[in-house]
Amino acid sequence: MIFLRRQMPLLITMITGLIFAGQYYVPHPASEQLLTSATKWLQIIGGFALVLGVTSLFQVHAAKIRRKEAGWGYSMVLYAGMLGTMAVGWWANGKESVEGVSTAFGWVYNFMMVPLQGTMFAILAFFIASAAYRSFRARSREAAVLLIAAVIVMMGRVPLGEYLVPISGDISQWILNVLNASVRRAILIGVSLGAVALSFKIIFGVERSYLGGGKE
Amino acid sequence: MSFAERMLKIDRRIIFVVIALCTLLPLLYPVGLPIKISQEVRGVYDHIESLPERSVILLSLDFDPASKPELYPQAVAILRHAFKKNLRVVAMTLWVSGTGMADELLTKVANESGKQRGADYVFLGWSPGGTAVIINMGQDLYNAFPSDYGSKPTKGQPVLEGVNSLKDVTYAVSLGAGNPGVEAWYVFGKDKYKFELGGGCTGVMAPGLYPLLRSGQINGLIGGLRGAAEYESLIGQKGRAVAGMDAQSATHVAIIVLVALCNMFYFTLRRQARQQGSQS
Repeated sequence: MIFLRRQMPLLITMITGLIFAGQYYVPHPASEQLLTSATKWLQIIGGFALVLGVTSLFQVHAAKIRRKEAGWGYSMVLYAGMLGTMAVGWWANGKESVEGVSTAFGWVYNFMMVPLQGTMFAILAFFIASAAYRSFRARSREAAVLLIAAVIVMMGRVPLGEYLVPISGDISQWILNVLNASVRRAILIGVSLGAVALSFKIIFGVERSYLGGGKE
Repeated sequence: MSFAERMLKIDRRIIFVVIALCTLLPLLYPVGLPIKISQEVRGVYDHIESLPERSVILLSLDFDPASKPELYPQAVAILRHAFKKNLRVVAMTLWVSGTGMADELLTKVANESGKQRGADYVFLGWSPGGTAVIINMGQDLYNAFPSDYGSKPTKGQPVLEGVNSLKDVTYAVSLGAGNPGVEAWYVFGKDKYKFELGGGCTGVMAPGLYPLLRSGQINGLIGGLRGAAEYESLIGQKGRAVAGMDAQSATHVAIIVLVALCNMFYFTLRRQARQQGSQS
């Protein structure tokens, strides 16, 4: 049992990890076919992951409702929303519109999901403005540099800013193209090297947390 | 409590009202300030402009309704440009929650341009797998999407004639609001299958994509509502983005003024505290 639970997944990870790391550099048709098959599996597994996610969400909120935990009413709303959307989705065969005519599923999408998500995002503008007023202060030299850079970029990214301070557009572009790009690139290189190191650790079985559990 | 202290603890609802007015008034009374075209946006425009008729452009609409205000106008402007140039458009999404919106916008712009589904454009829809879909499309497009969003088999559609994988796509543009988005299209798509790639993203994400732009990994970048407004100006069809720029201008200036005021009051308080400290 321990072999199936521990050594077997490690072995599969190592073999497939090494094969696909090498596959990138081998343009042979057999190698390409292997990649085609593997990515198709990934797509299928992705579909199962969706089912797993929905099931898990249902379980978590069912427990909340059963125990009548704080905010269990929201879980009820979630249940109603999910079941209702799934029902109309199945009824409409997953289509938002048929020959240009909106289905019930399309109605839920266009008149509930779209405005709700849009509203959530739009509210951010108000909170950002309030937070900026309260906390964007030049308490130190570093904060002052950040503040000046932010103000220049904010001015340079809108026509009114460029109209009031014509040079703000060029300075803003320079900040984005030179300072920002170089720092971002350094971070990206660091992250990528970290990803390579982590991949090696997973392939060679040093990093095993993805197996879960921890008990032998 | 001094005036500066009171101003620093101002009721946040006043700030909300200021922002609401700065958004609403310019929308009701537009000023229409001129929009300067940046090199990043011009990169995407010039490349599409240089494509010969009936070339294949892949447009991946990788966003959901939350990013609609910024990315929807970008998508509309690119589609209008592509249809005007008589290009074949292959659209898709890597974000399941954006599928309906993507189909609606594609159908709307195609109808407005007099284009036919299956002949001039196709919407492949969404497929599970995230970045794996990009690799799968690079290997075999018909394997990744055996049928389009309307359940019609993709093989045999005139719009996809001569297109077997991403290698046959002349130009791809990803309009991404996160992951998977522009970066994923470069890492898993362009790097291996060698097609030209352009990007579009929300304003918040744009600084993070500048390294890709500067190194030529993407040949252009449309950032946020400003980028969409620039693109609308380039194609000469001003729409939602240009209309929204006045509101964005006003809110940016309002936030700058608020930040300046907050710092002014902060330094006033700090000076007062120092003076009191030196007196005692």
